[in-house]
Amino acid sequence: MLPKEPLPLQNATNATRNSDIEDNSIKEKNTINRLFGFFGSVKLTVFILSFIAITSVLGTLIKQNAPAEEYLSTYSETIIRIIVLFKLYDIYHAPWFIGAVVVFAINLGVCTFTRFFRKKKGASFSLPDEKTLSNMELSFTLNKDLEGVLLPLIKKSFKKKIYDSDDGLIYEKNPFSKYGVPLIHISIIVILIGSLVGLIWGYKGFVVLHKGDIKEKFLLRGEGTKEMGLGFAIRCKDFNISYYPNGSPKDYVTTVEVIEKGRVILEKDIRVNNPLNYKGLHLYQSSYGVSPLFMFKIDGKEVNLKEHDEYETQGFIMIPIRFDASIHNFGPGVQVAYLDNNGEPKTAWFLRDIPKMKQRNLAGKTVMLEDIKEDLWTGLEVTYDPGVSIVWTGFALLLLGLYINFFVISGRVYIRRLPDALIVAGISIKHKERFRIAFEKIMRGLNGTDPS
Amino acid sequence: MELIHHKILGLATIIYVIILLLHFIYFAFKKEVIFKTIWWVIYINFILHTAGIIFRWIDSYRLDIGHAPLSNLYESLIFFSWCICLMIILMKKRLTYPIITMFSIIGALFFIAYASLSPGVDKGIQPLIPALQSNWLHIHVITCFISYAAFVISFICSILYFVRVDWSIMPDKDTLEEINYKSIMVGFPMLSAGILTGAVWAHYAWGSYWSWDPKETWSLITWIVYALLLHARFVKGWRGNRLALISIIGFFSVMFTYFGVNFLLSGLHSYAV
Ligand code: HEM
Repeated sequence: MLPKEPLPLQNATNATRNSDIEDNSIKEKNTINRLFGFFGSVKLTVFILSFIAITSVLGTLIKQNAPAEEYLSTYSETIIRIIVLFKLYDIYHAPWFIGAVVVFAINLGVCTFTRFFRKKKGASFSLPDEKTLSNMELSFTLNKDLEGVLLPLIKKSFKKKIYDSDDGLIYEKNPFSKYGVPLIHISIIVILIGSLVGLIWGYKGFVVLHKGDIKEKFLLRGEGTKEMGLGFAIRCKDFNISYYPNGSPKDYVTTVEVIEKGRVILEKDIRVNNPLNYKGLHLYQSSYGVSPLFMFKIDGKEVNLKEHDEYETQGFIMIPIRFDASIHNFGPGVQVAYLDNNGEPKTAWFLRDIPKMKQRNLAGKTVMLEDIKEDLWTGLEVTYDPGVSIVWTGFALLLLGLYINFFVISGRVYIRRLPDALIVAGISIKHKERFRIAFEKIMRGLNGTDPS
Repeated sequence: MELIHHKILGLATIIYVIILLLHFIYFAFKKEVIFKTIWWVIYINFILHTAGIIFRWIDSYRLDIGHAPLSNLYESLIFFSWCICLMIILMKKRLTYPIITMFSIIGALFFIAYASLSPGVDKGIQPLIPALQSNWLHIHVITCFISYAAFVISFICSILYFVRVDWSIMPDKDTLEEINYKSIMVGFPMLSAGILTGAVWAHYAWGSYWSWDPKETWSLITWIVYALLLHARFVKGWRGNRLALISIIGFFSVMFTYFGVNFLLSGLHSYAV
């Protein structure tokens, strides 16, 4: 079972090539087989896996997806050119990296197919000769008449008979253990397919909610200001942060209501490690922050504005454009943009704690900054990934395959009938120690009856 | 604050030193009795080490921030050391060579001593930050560290493989290879399980099962190295030096995943383990 030629197919075609007929279909077959040979070779596996591993290292050394200035300040011009050319600032999404993964997937697929499925057609078992058997680490000879005692003992733990002829028998322990390896390989393909599905059809985004906000859309990640509909509405009922006595955060909880057609469908506390799953979307607690809420009185009327909110009344327009938590120790203030009587854009600062700077006359309106409140917001990450269940399936298969391959004892027992005796030998490639125990159990079972 | 578990773990550290000394005594006198004694002391110390971890767990509840002690560098080092001790006990039948148990004990001693002696390691019990409050944390950390411990044994065998002195205490090369392969047979599936549970956890905590953060990437690299080793052995029939070399590379990758990433690179995992 040890070093195997990875290309059993090519040997077969070499034989047909001797034929005199110049047949195109044979030529075509050759190309296909050669392609199969190339993509099914373990050399390619070693090469491509090493390539993926080494380039992955690169991705941890060069900071990924950092702002441009960071690269400019760290690297020289030539290196930056290389970084841009090969997309080294986002290696794992660079076309050549994805290409390598695709080649790997094909390699894995072809390999699994040729080795584990094609091979089985003509599989035949042959009984090794006497000398090979007696040279095996686990072997003994037995009085010929004891076959009737031996076989039931073997059958107890080696249930499957895979060869039965005049010259002897072969029993196999846990024959399904040979499916461990193809299962491992297939599961990796399944995982790759799942992640591809996610890459193609999935998306990610972000939604910011203040207490009381209702939102039906979220901001798509990496696409500027493009928004996308959730397919339902969420209302932020509450957002709370709790702390441990030492001041480190204990819990972030956003209480949301899912609303469809004006009706509240469900209520849920979204926490870190406890997302909301609804209609295939997952909403995760991802960040929070404080944004100021400016409480103005404009000509005696109360107006609450957030940063960049536009307020308009009777041709008067004003927008709070900049918040500063502390202006030269004068306390918090906000800069407001407005249009003066001539339609010219102007700005003005309001400081909450300085009476003189609390109230101003802007374009004929009396504007007063009554207070600045801290308004907590919660940031939820929104993801849709139809590939996740495929990936999970792959994970489960991988673990099952690993278990079968590494922890299920496999091995064979050979019984060869000699003219005057039986020679019994056992071999296991992967589980020598535990197989020996099973084998010795058979010997011990015989000891009671057999003096030899 | 000096808590009882610090005392227990301190004692366990001292006993690891004693086990090491017992090995020296064994090499001097080569008496079977001494080797038997070594195993008994290993068993006793394993119980002590376990008790230390359990007491830390209990202490954390006394401080009203109860959580399994698997959440910061100190706790992970203590647990890593414990896993190495567990691994020698599990592989006892195979580890009939005191030279291997000795180096394994040196490994366990190194990590437990590093945890308690290094000024850079905070020994206090910290409350769990929200991202770590998940049952996946436990299964993830346990599988990862069991695999790391198995790779420690594999590493030791690979290094010994290159030692060319004709000492009676040196196991023969076939034995080293066999133990090396056996420990990778435990390490590889465990590492796989560790990566997969980590991915499931990341899905629940960060909304994405794989984000190419340096720790994830390095664990994948480690995984690939050991996959290459298995294929070199099984498909190409490689044995001996070349295989031992891949195993050594794999172990460096493990250590970089564990330490290097924390100290040299930054990412999602940098807060803790
Ligand atoms: C990261 C990807 C891969 C992983 C994790 C993986 C995993 C494994 C494992 C765990 C084994 C069993 C080894 C043992 O029992 O010691 C194995 C065997 C094998 N793998 Fe892979 N494999 C991968 C990729 C590939 C690829 C791409 C090929 C195709 C050339 C391949 C071909 C084989 C073959 C031929 C065997 C030997 C089966 C035998 O002789 O029993 N593997 N693989």
